[in-house]
Amino acid sequence: MKRRVVITACSAITPIGYGKSDIIESLRQGRSGVKPLRDDGLLTERIHSKVFGTVDYPIDYGFARKHTKTMGPVAYYACQVAKDVLADSGLDQDFITSGRLGVSFSSTHGSPTIQRNIYKTFFSKDKSEFSSIGAVDYLKSMVHTTAVNITRMFGITGRVVASSTACTTSSQSIGFGYEMVKFGMQDAMICGGADEYDTTTVAVFDNLLACSVDYNDTPEATPRPFDTNRDGLVVGEGGAAVLLEEYEHAKARGATILGEVIGFSCNNNGGDLILPNLDGITTTLRLALDNAEIKPEDVDFVSAHATATKMGDVIESQAIDKVYGNRPWVAGLKSYMGHTMGTCGAIELIISLYMMEHGFLAPTLNLETVDERCAMLRHVREVTEVETRIAAIQNFAFGGVNTCLLIADGRS
Amino acid sequence: MTRDELQEKIVAVLVDEFEFENPGLTDNLRDDHGFDSIDAIELLAKIEEMLGFQISRKEKEEAMSIRTINDILDYIETIQAAHNG
Repeated sequence: MKRRVVITACSAITPIGYGKSDIIESLRQGRSGVKPLRDDGLLTERIHSKVFGTVDYPIDYGFARKHTKTMGPVAYYACQVAKDVLADSGLDQDFITSGRLGVSFSSTHGSPTIQRNIYKTFFSKDKSEFSSIGAVDYLKSMVHTTAVNITRMFGITGRVVASSTACTTSSQSIGFGYEMVKFGMQDAMICGGADEYDTTTVAVFDNLLACSVDYNDTPEATPRPFDTNRDGLVVGEGGAAVLLEEYEHAKARGATILGEVIGFSCNNNGGDLILPNLDGITTTLRLALDNAEIKPEDVDFVSAHATATKMGDVIESQAIDKVYGNRPWVAGLKSYMGHTMGTCGAIELIISLYMMEHGFLAPTLNLETVDERCAMLRHVREVTEVETRIAAIQNFAFGGVNTCLLIADGRS
Repeated sequence: MTRDELQEKIVAVLVDEFEFENPGLTDNLRDDHGFDSIDAIELLAKIEEMLGFQISRKEKEEAMSIRTINDILDYIETIQAAHNG
């Protein structure tokens, strides 16, 4: 059984805005969401990188305590975007609780805020501090906390997939959700990812010399994917969800079709857990094309993973060149908001959908002088009014995991 | 602390922190206010804080038979008396 899988709702909380109009405005205005790193009273002082892709605007969640009692900050992001997609989808309550709707959602850590509070008690001399570890701290910090807080809040009884694979978390969520619907296990899936403000992630990349440190006084000037003067990634936060639905199901209920997932691939480099791998990445891009049964020349736009690390961008450029040549437009959307970790694939897919719908492409921000080793690609250098029909969203993670999602616009 | 003072404190905690609406002393905590096992554990932590001593594991297990606000008040009075005794 192979069924078509369409996207019938989406929502994103990002450092450059919440919802379609805010995000498009930021993209068109070249507005960055990278801000100074906030003080966590623990690690911030010792981290060299002082920048972060920050969600610093108020969000009116309106969740009741009966739900929030099992939620850390990451689950707030997750449940908010899930609430948005369910509201926008128009799905009725009978279907939501029927067992035919599932959730494919995760984050890189669960809630690090809760984990930090637990660790603090390890070092306390006061025995009573132990009881400050709440009965629900595990529910807030476990890796599948986002997925199951979504099921709990909305009474969803279908499958739960919570694949936590660092930077490919939400692209895997969408890919695995796509396969659930395509092969008939579910009729619809809420898919995505979220990650909250977390300095331990910044510290890890900082110690690996992978974080941006040269633009601490001008946060908006970093990250700089493909630019000669890039100096590393910027960690960020956010949440994003899409509703994937079987095409006939969506059509029968008159749902608005925003786009279609036409292919997905996922592989592993089979070796080093950190270094980018040209063969592994190239294979992923080709596997996605095979899966979608399309040719490289059918792809109009490549949303590159492009974290702005020294080697990552070069290897990715080589892979894009090998597979596509210089025909498709290429942009690195992390240039606007940093690397939102487990959320990035879902955010980049949603932004690609927005740009398809509105007939433009946003340039890679801060790309002033293209690194000659990345210059063989057709970079988007300014806001470009252009129709795109098929986009590739590619993401690569620690652990050697690579993904590629291929989506077509809703009119196709 | 008198029974009335204790009642006032517990009702305030249930309203302010557990989002109870119009709690009655004989309401069924679970059926009328959606109070579940997670809430029970969290309330015990609040009670420990209020009493200023740790409630034993055995005493906590005994709390699992609580069904109403009156039961909560009886429970607190019992463990307080045991602690003072």
